[in-house]
Amino acid sequence: MAVALHLAQLQRERGGDPLTVAVLEKARDNGAHCLSGAVLDPSVLRELVPNCESLDVPLGAPVQDDRVMYFTPRKAIRFPITPPPLNNHGCYVTSLNRLVKWMADLAEKDGTHVFNGFAASELLYDGNRVVGVRTGDRGIGREGKQKSNFEPGVDIRATVTILADGVRGNLTKTLVSRFDLSRDRLPQSYALGFKELWHVPPGRLTPGTVIHTLGHPLRFEEFGGGFLYALSAEEISVGFVVGLDYRDPLLDPHQAFQRFKMHPFVSSLLSAGQMIRYGAKALPEGGWHAIPKSYVDGAIIVGDAAGFVNSLRLKGIHLAMRTGMYAAEAAFEAVRANDPSAGQLSKFQELVDNGAVRHELYPVRNVHQSFAYGLPAGLIYAGLSLITKGWWMQDPMLARAGHERLSTVKEYYGQEIPEISSLKVDRSLTFDRLTNVHYSGTRHSEDQPSHLLVHDTDICRTRCRTEYRNPCLRFCPANVYEMVDADDGTGPRLQINASNCVHCKTCDIMDPYQIIDWVPPEGGGGPDYEGM
Amino acid sequence: MTTLVVAEQQNGTLNPVTWETVALAKGIGHPVTVVVLGADIGTVADELANANVDEVLVVEDSALEFYTADGFSMALEQVIRAENPTLVLLSHTYQARDFVPALGARLGRTLLTDCTKVEVRESVLIFTRPMFQGKMMADVRLTGPNPHLVTFQIGATQVDNIEPGVSSPARRSFVVTLPTDQIRQRPELPFRETKQAVDLSQAERIVAVGRGIKSEEHLDLVRNFALAMDAELAASRPICDAGWLPMDRQVGSSGQTVAPTLYFALGISGAIQHVVGMKGARTIVAINKDPDAPVFEIADYGIVGDLFEVVPAMIKALGE
Amino acid sequence: MNIIVCIKQVITREWLVRVDETQTWIRDQDASFEMNEPDAYALEAALCLKEQHGGEIIVCSAGPVRARQVILEALARGADRGIHVVSEDISKAGAEVVADALAHAIREEPFDLVLTGLQSNDQGFAQTGVILATCLGIPHATIIMDVQFDAGKLRVKRELEGGLFQWVSLPVPALLTIQSGINQLRYATLKGIVAAKKKPIRTVDTEMPDTFGHEIVKIYTPEKNKQTHFVDGTPASAAVELIRLLRQDARVL
Repeated sequence: MAVALHLAQLQRERGGDPLTVAVLEKARDNGAHCLSGAVLDPSVLRELVPNCESLDVPLGAPVQDDRVMYFTPRKAIRFPITPPPLNNHGCYVTSLNRLVKWMADLAEKDGTHVFNGFAASELLYDGNRVVGVRTGDRGIGREGKQKSNFEPGVDIRATVTILADGVRGNLTKTLVSRFDLSRDRLPQSYALGFKELWHVPPGRLTPGTVIHTLGHPLRFEEFGGGFLYALSAEEISVGFVVGLDYRDPLLDPHQAFQRFKMHPFVSSLLSAGQMIRYGAKALPEGGWHAIPKSYVDGAIIVGDAAGFVNSLRLKGIHLAMRTGMYAAEAAFEAVRANDPSAGQLSKFQELVDNGAVRHELYPVRNVHQSFAYGLPAGLIYAGLSLITKGWWMQDPMLARAGHERLSTVKEYYGQEIPEISSLKVDRSLTFDRLTNVHYSGTRHSEDQPSHLLVHDTDICRTRCRTEYRNPCLRFCPANVYEMVDADDGTGPRLQINASNCVHCKTCDIMDPYQIIDWVPPEGGGGPDYEGM
Repeated sequence: MTTLVVAEQQNGTLNPVTWETVALAKGIGHPVTVVVLGADIGTVADELANANVDEVLVVEDSALEFYTADGFSMALEQVIRAENPTLVLLSHTYQARDFVPALGARLGRTLLTDCTKVEVRESVLIFTRPMFQGKMMADVRLTGPNPHLVTFQIGATQVDNIEPGVSSPARRSFVVTLPTDQIRQRPELPFRETKQAVDLSQAERIVAVGRGIKSEEHLDLVRNFALAMDAELAASRPICDAGWLPMDRQVGSSGQTVAPTLYFALGISGAIQHVVGMKGARTIVAINKDPDAPVFEIADYGIVGDLFEVVPAMIKALGE
Repeated sequence: MNIIVCIKQVITREWLVRVDETQTWIRDQDASFEMNEPDAYALEAALCLKEQHGGEIIVCSAGPVRARQVILEALARGADRGIHVVSEDISKAGAEVVADALAHAIREEPFDLVLTGLQSNDQGFAQTGVILATCLGIPHATIIMDVQFDAGKLRVKRELEGGLFQWVSLPVPALLTIQSGINQLRYATLKGIVAAKKKPIRTVDTEMPDTFGHEIVKIYTPEKNKQTHFVDGTPASAAVELIRLLRQDARVL
C-alpha cells in the first residue's frame, strides 16, 4: 500500500501522464492476511502521509511502558533497564490489519485499483524481463476439473511489477531462484510467530504497555521469546516467536506458545479473559546479509518478501513502508523514462544502500546469526553490536538455512528417543491447533485442489518418519498436516487438511527435505485477521 | 384474549406439527381456537375437534382446495379481522413461510418467525428465537398493536399424543369471500423428485459419523442405524474430505448448520468446527471411545464406548 | 427482462459474534462483512436470467454506508446499476421496516421480477421478500429452484417439504425468493470490478420509524446448562438404557 500511496504522491508532485496502479491482494479483504504484534515506528508513516493523524489513522495506543523479562519456569525476572533497541518510546501498539485497511482506503481514493481475492500465481516474462503476473484460476474442483463457474486466471501486464508478497512470498521465491538473486548472500532465516488477541477484564495492563520475554519455555539453544502488548484497557495481544532454526526435531512451537501462556505471569494477565482471535505467520530474521538482490529487469522486491526486518528492534513494518516508497520512486522514474530495465531500477538499491534502511539494518546485520551460538552468546553479541555497530571478526557471521539445522531424532537424542508429549489443553487459556484455527477466521472454498504441493509423500511415510518423526505435524500452526492410519495395513499416510491453512509459510521454510511448495490457494481464501 | 392456531393440512391429512403449535398455545394460557383451511376437510376438523381446545373454526372454500399464498392470506385476513385474536400461532413450515409474512403485511401487524420458546415474564410474552445462524439466541417481545403473529420452529416442543378434550369444543364454519381473480398463483400438482443435494437443515433427526468409524466399509453400520432411527445421515469434515460421504452431508463451519430434534454424534471428537454446525440440536447423544472428547461437553447423553459395539446394540434395542 | 435483486450486507459466516454492552445486539464495529449468501444465489439466478433473456439488473440494498461494498460486488458480477437505501440502523429493524424502505426505493423502477434470498444470515426472519411483494402489490412465490419465463409468462418451481416440488404460474411483475445452492456462484472478474466503479449507484435516504414492531430484550450465546448424562455399563445394556431414556425422558423417540 505504501508503494501505491507514494506513487500517487509522485504523480501529484511531478505530473505527467497518469499512471495506472493496481494492487493484487489474495485476501478477500484488505489487511485480512496481515499479522503482526505490532509495535509500530510511525516515522515512515508520517513521511508517507504527513497529515495521517487528521485522516484518523488507526495508530493505536502510544507505548507507555516497555519491559523486558526473563522467564524461568515459575518466575519472571525483569531486566533492570530496557535495552535501547527495545525502547519503544514514540512508538505505538497497533493493529497492522487496521492500518493496512486504512492505507488501502486512501490508496483507492487516489485512484489505485485494489483487486481483492486475486492471487498472483506466476510471474510473466518476456525473455528475462518481468512483464507482469498471471492470476490463479478460480473454480477448479478438488479433482482438478473445471466447475461450472470456472474463471481462468488473467495475465496482467505492467511496466514495473513490485513484489510485496510477504515472508517467503511464492513469487519472490521463484524470482530469486531463477535469477540466483541470493548468490553471495546468506541464506534467509525465519521465525514463526503466534499471536492471540484477548479480551480481558479492564485494568490488567495500561494501554500501551509493551512486554517482551526471553527464556522459558525455550532453552538457550532456541531463538525466540514472547510478547504481551496492551492495545487498550480491555484488549491484550499475546504472542510467541520461535526461530525456525531449532535443532530438536520434536520441538513443538505451538506447544511452546501454550506453555508460555501457562506461565503464572502471563496466565494471571489473561485469567477470566476470552481469546477472540488467533493467527500465525513466519517472519524473516536473517537481516542485512540475507537480503537478496532485490531488483531485476521489470521487478522490485520490497518488505518482508526481501527480508527488510530489523531483528534487534523486532520491527519490520516501517521498513516495509520505506522500501515501498523507494520502490515507488524507482518505478516512477522507470515508467517516465520508459525503461524498466534492471539498470534503471537499480535506483532502488541505491536508495536502500545509501539511506535510512542501511543505516538501520547494517549495524544489526549479524544479530540473528549470533543467536545460533545460544541465547547468552546472542545477547552478548547483540549488546556489543550497539557499540561496535555490528562489527565481528567474521563478517558476515556464518549461517545456515534454518531447515538444515534441524537434527534427526537419532542425532539429537541418540538411542533414548522420548515419546512425543502432547500437552493437555483446557480450551480456555490453552488450545489445540484445530480450535485455534477456528479463531483465525480461516475459510477456503472446500472444493479445490490442495495448495500445499508435497512432491513426494512417500518420504513422509518412510524416511521422514524415521529420521525426524514428521516435524510438519508440530511446526504447522494450523493442523494442516496429519499422519493418519489408513486402515488397509499400509501404515500411516500423510493427510493434508489444506483448508485449515493460515498462509504462514512455515512448512515451505522448515521442511527438512524442502519438498513442500506453498502456492496460493484460490483467491479470497485464507484467514481473517480482523483487528490483529 | 384468545390465541388463534392455524392448523396445516395437505389433501385432507392434518400435518402433525399442528399439535406442537396447539401445545404452545395452551402453554400461554388464553383460550385456544384452531382454524383450518381447505376444501372438503371434514375429517381434519373431526380430528381437531377431539383435542382439548376451546373452538375449532372450519374454513371451507373451493378456492382453498390447493394451497396458494394469495388464497390463504386473504382467507385468514378475513378470519382474523372478524375473530380479533390477540395472538396468531403457526408452525414455521415451508408453507407458512410462503404466506404468513404477506398476511402480516395485509393486516399491518408484526410477525415474529422461527421461535423456539415462549414464556410469560412479568405478564409479558417473551419469545425466544435463534439469530446469526444459531450462534446467538434472542429474547424478543412484541410491541405494536394486536394481533401478533408468531411462527414456531418445527420441534420447538414435544407432543406425544393429543390430549383428548373433556367435551368436544365448539365447531363453527367460517365463510370467506375469495374472488378467484385475486388469487394470482396457479399451482400445478406437487411431484416427487430426488433432490441433488440433501438439505440437512430441514432434517428432524440426524445420525452423524466421524473419524471413529475408521473406514468406508463400516459406514453401512451407521446407515442401518440411521434407517432404524428414521434419520438423515451426516458426517464431520474428515469423512467428507476422504470422499466417503458427499460434501452435502457435512455438518460444521464449512458444511451445513443443523438444528434437529435429535442428533447422534458417532465417533466424532467434537472439534469446534463441527460443533458450531450442530449445537443448536435439541437433544445431542455422543458415542465416543475417548472420555475426554470435547463432544461430551455439549452432549445431553453420552456413552463412553466402542461405537462398533454400542451401535449394533442400539439397532437391536430399537427393534424391540 | 428487467430484474431487481435485493441484497443485504451481513456479518461473515465465520465471524465469532459477541454480545455488546447493552446485551441487545452484537459487537459489529470493525467486524467483517459480506453479501448475505442466500441473496448471492438470488443475484446469480438473476444473472442467469439476464444471459437468457437480456434486460437490466438493478441491485438494491438497505444498510449503512458500508453496505455500498455489497452493491459494488453485485455490480462487479454483472448487475447494471445499484440503489443504496442508506440507513445506519436498518440492519436491526424488523422485516416490515426494511420491506417498506425497499419498496419506496424501487417502486418507480421498471421491473418484471424482484428476486431476494430466502432469509438473511443475521436476523433470519425469512419475511422481507414476501412483505415487499405485498407492499408493491405484486404476487410472490418462495423457495424457488427454477425460473421459466416464456412469452411474458412466468412459471417457477417451488420446493416443498418432504422431497416434493411444485410448479406454479404467476403473472409478472412478481417477486420470488430464491433457494440457496441451486447454482454455482460466479466470480467477479477483474474487468467486472473495474467496470463496477463506473456503474451508477443511486442513494436514497430513509427515515426509521420511532419504534419497530418488536424489541430484543436480550441476546445471548446459547449455553448448554445441562450436565451430560453418561450411560454406563456394557455396550448392550447401555444401548438399551439409552433408548429408554430417549423414549421416556427426552421424548425424542
